[in-house]
Amino acid sequence: MMIKKIVCLVGLIPLLAGVCTARAWQATDQERARERAKEVVPFVKEYQDDCQISRRICLMDAGVSLDDVKEVYFLLDSPIIKEREDHYEPVRFAHKRHAALVNDCSKCHHFRPRDENALETTRCSACHQDSFNPDHPERIGLKAAYHQQCMECHQQEAKGPVDCTGCHLKHVPDHKELVKLPDNPDPIQVTKACLECHDTQGEDMLKTAHWLWRGPSPYTTGHRKDILHGKGTTALNNF
Amino acid sequence: MHITRRNFFRFMGAAGASVAVRPPSVHAWQSQAPPDPFGCLVDLTRCVGCRKCEEACAKVNDLPEPERVNCQCTIFEKDRRPDDTSYTVINRYYTGTVDVFDKPVPTYAKVQCMHCQDPACVSACIVGALTKDDTGAVHYDVSKCIGCRYCMVACPFEIPAYEYYDPITPRVMKCTFCQERISKKGGLPGCAGICPTEALTFGRRQTLLGVARKRLKENPGSYIQHIYGEKEVGGTSWMYLSSVPFEEVNLPLLPDTPSPKLSETIQHSLFSYLWSPVLLFGVLGACMARFNRGNDQKQNNADKGGA
Ligand code: SF4
Ligand code: SF4
Ligand code: SF4
Repeated sequence: MMIKKIVCLVGLIPLLAGVCTARAWQATDQERARERAKEVVPFVKEYQDDCQISRRICLMDAGVSLDDVKEVYFLLDSPIIKEREDHYEPVRFAHKRHAALVNDCSKCHHFRPRDENALETTRCSACHQDSFNPDHPERIGLKAAYHQQCMECHQQEAKGPVDCTGCHLKHVPDHKELVKLPDNPDPIQVTKACLECHDTQGEDMLKTAHWLWRGPSPYTTGHRKDILHGKGTTALNNF
Repeated sequence: MHITRRNFFRFMGAAGASVAVRPPSVHAWQSQAPPDPFGCLVDLTRCVGCRKCEEACAKVNDLPEPERVNCQCTIFEKDRRPDDTSYTVINRYYTGTVDVFDKPVPTYAKVQCMHCQDPACVSACIVGALTKDDTGAVHYDVSKCIGCRYCMVACPFEIPAYEYYDPITPRVMKCTFCQERISKKGGLPGCAGICPTEALTFGRRQTLLGVARKRLKENPGSYIQHIYGEKEVGGTSWMYLSSVPFEEVNLPLLPDTPSPKLSETIQHSLFSYLWSPVLLFGVLGACMARFNRGNDQKQNNADKGGA
């Protein structure tokens, strides 16, 4: 009898273990990106100081093309940055999309390691690591490399975000927990709830054109030429 | 001889000339700058005006959170200065440059204590509450401060602020260069550590000068060929690179001589060998003697006339 029980229990062990180890479903590409983001590769001390045109030619000669871009996206979440400052969620950088849009690898892969056996393209974090390295004072750190590279290009091309939250996910708390509104609230109740915390933004709004605009309303009969209409003057929906 | 106005000035002129031909003082002014201080290079072409440095500075120094820290819409409308609640601020300037889309390009400039190599504030402080230490930081010791606020008057950059609202324990407030943090190995100032674009480069001042010269040489079109703070007021630990004239972003034109050099030379030569009090009392004595003699003569004449 006793022995039977023990056998039963022993039989249960693999089952239990199975239950314990079973995890929620995860996107394989996301896991891969996460793992990759954690890697720190050896620092490249010496680089080949080429001009951009010769870099471009080298990359073309080496036959680097869009097909070589294996990963659709990277998560930029390197421990090199995080061990100093850690305030934001990782940025999801769509490598393939950028490669296709920019169509010039030398824009980002601007130098190569001096070591001839190294690949023609290297990841950013091989050359750019901790900031203010006294042995390489002119070399910017990884965080600055990302920000300078991304923001400069986004500005030049007038495309892509240049503000913090355009790239970084923000921890926005669930407002269902924070705000209690009656059922079917009216607009005034909603605005009031927002302003309870976001009062400075509310004040800022009062100085913007959204609040102060005045001018003709070309689609309203009688107001087409009158420039003294608008929220800054006669409009009544300023609750 | 009566002491007329003219005579008096003639006499003072002669006294002045004798001072001017004095042999140079044995106590020639000497710089007290530390040999290998840290510094910070602010590259205005890289600053994007995110004000993360303000936020980080407040956090590491236990100051109140900066005004509208996450909202940049209206904060730049006013020109701000570091004050008793913030050691550093970012200001925005439109200097007339436009981008390819004809949009005016802003230049953002960080303001904080420059940690001068030979600081006027240290020289002005009569109780030694301000000191320049080996890290390069100009350090303030509240326990010594008597609240005279000479430092505020002396500073050529108008940096030190005062907690006027606090009647019992007011302090002079200014950027500390995060002295405690940078004294530790690998430690960074709060602002330089957080800056996303490395608009703030932290390192040894000498190394930074090399970095700055390299940037100027490699991008001649992008910069004004000048390192602000290399020589200004005898050199500062915080230095600036810019693509627009420095005066336009509120970095004043200043002479290369350290401010204390002039003031201390005057002060020291006034007190060396006690010559100035001796001269002063000599002049006063001479004046009195002459004045008295004149009076005596008048008195005598009057006496004679009366006899
Ligand atoms: S900037 Fe002003 S407060 Fe700072 S070290 Fe120089 S003189 Fe002193
Ligand atoms: S060095 Fe430190 S105290 Fe000075 S501005 Fe930066 S964070 Fe503030
Ligand atoms: S953190 Fe850097 S980029 Fe942002 S405002 Fe400060 S100096 Fe400029």
